[in-house]
Amino acid sequence: MRVLGNLLRTVSGAAGLAMLIMTMAATVLTPFLSPYDPFALDFANAMQPPSAAHWFGTDNFGRDIFTRVMAGAVYDMRLALICVFGPMAIGVLIGLVAGYLGGRIDAALMRLTDIVWAFPFYVLVLAIVGVLGPSETNLYIAFFLVNWIGYARIIRGETLLISRLEFIEATRVLRFGKLRVTLRHILPNAITPALVYSMSDVVLTVQAVAAMSFFGLGVQPPAPEWGLLIVESIDYMRDAPWMTVFPGLAIVWIGIAFALLGEGLSTALKPKG
Amino acid sequence: MIPGLNLKALLLASAVALTGLPAAAETLRVAMGFDPLSLDPIATSDNGSIWTQLLIFDTLVRPDKTGEGLEPGLAESWTVSEDGLTLTFNLREAKFSDGTPVTAEDVQFSIERAASEESGWSRFYRPITSFEIVNDRQIVMQLAEPFTPAFNNLALFAAAILPKAQVEEKGDAFFDAPVGAGPFMLKNWARGSRIELVKNPNYWQEGKPYVDDAVLEIVTEPSARVIKLEAGEVDVALDPPLNQLEDLDGKDGISTGQIIPYRADFVQLNTTREPFDDERVRQALNMAIDKDALVQGVLYGAGEPAAAAMPVMAYADPELAPYPYDPAAAKELLAEAGYADGFEAQLLVDSGAATSRNAAITLQAMLQQVGVRVEVQMLEGGTQWETTKSGNYDMSVSYATSDTIDPDQIIGFVGVNPERANAYHTEWKSDRLNELYEEERKTPDGDERGGMFREMVQILHDEAPYIFLYHPASAWAAQDYVKDFEILPTSNFRLEEVKIEK
Repeated sequence: MRVLGNLLRTVSGAAGLAMLIMTMAATVLTPFLSPYDPFALDFANAMQPPSAAHWFGTDNFGRDIFTRVMAGAVYDMRLALICVFGPMAIGVLIGLVAGYLGGRIDAALMRLTDIVWAFPFYVLVLAIVGVLGPSETNLYIAFFLVNWIGYARIIRGETLLISRLEFIEATRVLRFGKLRVTLRHILPNAITPALVYSMSDVVLTVQAVAAMSFFGLGVQPPAPEWGLLIVESIDYMRDAPWMTVFPGLAIVWIGIAFALLGEGLSTALKPKG
Repeated sequence: MIPGLNLKALLLASAVALTGLPAAAETLRVAMGFDPLSLDPIATSDNGSIWTQLLIFDTLVRPDKTGEGLEPGLAESWTVSEDGLTLTFNLREAKFSDGTPVTAEDVQFSIERAASEESGWSRFYRPITSFEIVNDRQIVMQLAEPFTPAFNNLALFAAAILPKAQVEEKGDAFFDAPVGAGPFMLKNWARGSRIELVKNPNYWQEGKPYVDDAVLEIVTEPSARVIKLEAGEVDVALDPPLNQLEDLDGKDGISTGQIIPYRADFVQLNTTREPFDDERVRQALNMAIDKDALVQGVLYGAGEPAAAAMPVMAYADPELAPYPYDPAAAKELLAEAGYADGFEAQLLVDSGAATSRNAAITLQAMLQQVGVRVEVQMLEGGTQWETTKSGNYDMSVSYATSDTIDPDQIIGFVGVNPERANAYHTEWKSDRLNELYEEERKTPDGDERGGMFREMVQILHDEAPYIFLYHPASAWAAQDYVKDFEILPTSNFRLEEVKIEK
């Protein structure tokens, strides 16, 4: 709670959190409030510009874009959160093990991260999804295989640093168990930079998820995932720019929200003094 | 057409006279969506390659502009014996672009090459069993048994006439810098970007091509082709997005054209799998689709609903109507087949084909109305082909186009099993259709052969191994100063008759 209080005291943290809560509320409420079905076709109303009836206009199938963008938030948030916090859990674990145990295990794990690190992120994800075939599950697999690296490295570095601090030395003298020391004393201190990093990672992942749909390798139509909405709108961009603009703005909006939240978190979690 | 020609000539002459300058080198720039894979006519089947080859090479005979008959190409005249077994061709005095004459020997070499093991089109030419070179400009081809499509197949790009000596000397390298007897010569080929062609000074149609150079710009994104046209960077944009046609036509200085080529779009149904092995289910799916809504919503009116997986071409039955849109009857049929609650199926679609993708989304919504829950799966085009070929699919959105004016090629592809593609990977089989296919190939052109085609298409329609969708138009948009550009029913285009009149 103290962290939350600190967070809300930062302008960026409060703004980011507010934006996120607004998004969540809109996502949850839209299915009840919108008179439109995000999947039903209505060719007679195709490509209507934004109006009171259709806030974001309609697409080439006559579907209401506002309803679709809101419905799409579920896909993008789910994908982004799972693709960040899943690999983060793995990365944190590996980083802790490597950093605390050191020696050969550390060397082996870090060489492994070097190998994965050597490939450009998109090339690797594209290759994995390309081999496994496009689907949401395979997208998760690809991100889990690639995304843990950053966290493992951050946590290992922090663990090494913290292990040398006096209070950890003290636990050794007191003959505390290794596991207890790692989980109770090292992890809480090491996690902060990883948490801050994860916020910008969410932003990058939302973009990556959208990009994968753009390549036809992610979420499949007619799901209203934002990247998919954009790729489907390309041929209509000149007649119906709202089809591209609003999903694009949604990505920007969520990106700013998480970026602000990350900014706020880093301030809120910074040790005083 | 002579008065028209005179008027144009007069206009052109006066234009030249007014400017008082000799016409500068004229370049025609065309934005095309496909990057050719190879310029070897026997090694390719993709549109980019075929279209480009047809600008560089010529064939003995070629489909005329109406797509209803053949007209002379490198052969000036020909005779076909009464039994159809002997084809005699008299070559015109044509030259390859490097000035060497086109001889009967080149013809024999090229057709034998097209029939060889390494050719993807060998079965089209293998029925020609022997050649006799009477003299440099006359060649006689013999068939061991009647094979009616043989003559037509000589009008196919795969039967392009190549200079024997050069191909033998250079091997595969020849096709990087090919020499042909077509209207244009390849000047430069920057893969993935552009193909630069220059007028063949030795082309047999005197005075043509009218333009001096032609550049095919490879622009894969349809909207980008249109933007380039509007910016004046190209003179012709092929396949603009159909939804933009009307707007484009209204723009100053730009006009559009369209034609329904020999093409049919459909959904392949894997008939080796339940429930697609049941004819009633397949018919029900056909009745669940509102084809008129598809044509309006996906093609923006630029097309016609389809009654079969066959293009509307020679011998087509004008009476054959598409399946009626009747979801209630579809539900009844499904119930009769034991699927009162519908079923689940996966629908493959080429992620790069915007129109097919839109069709898939529409199909998904329409099939849901009769309880069929479809999951759309986008794939890269090549992967889609491999997947359906291996039989590992339920439904797949695809299409077929005919490169010849004879329906033999395409019925063999979509209806015959076992054949090239086993009824285009549906594995559907009709003994009667197979029998008719054998017969048709031995029957001389005429009403009897036409009747066989009509019966084959009727069987295809009735047993419905596909969901028949539509015959989409091929469109183009061009600057007003481009005259006489058109897409032919065989989907390709000629540039030798195109004029630039600025």
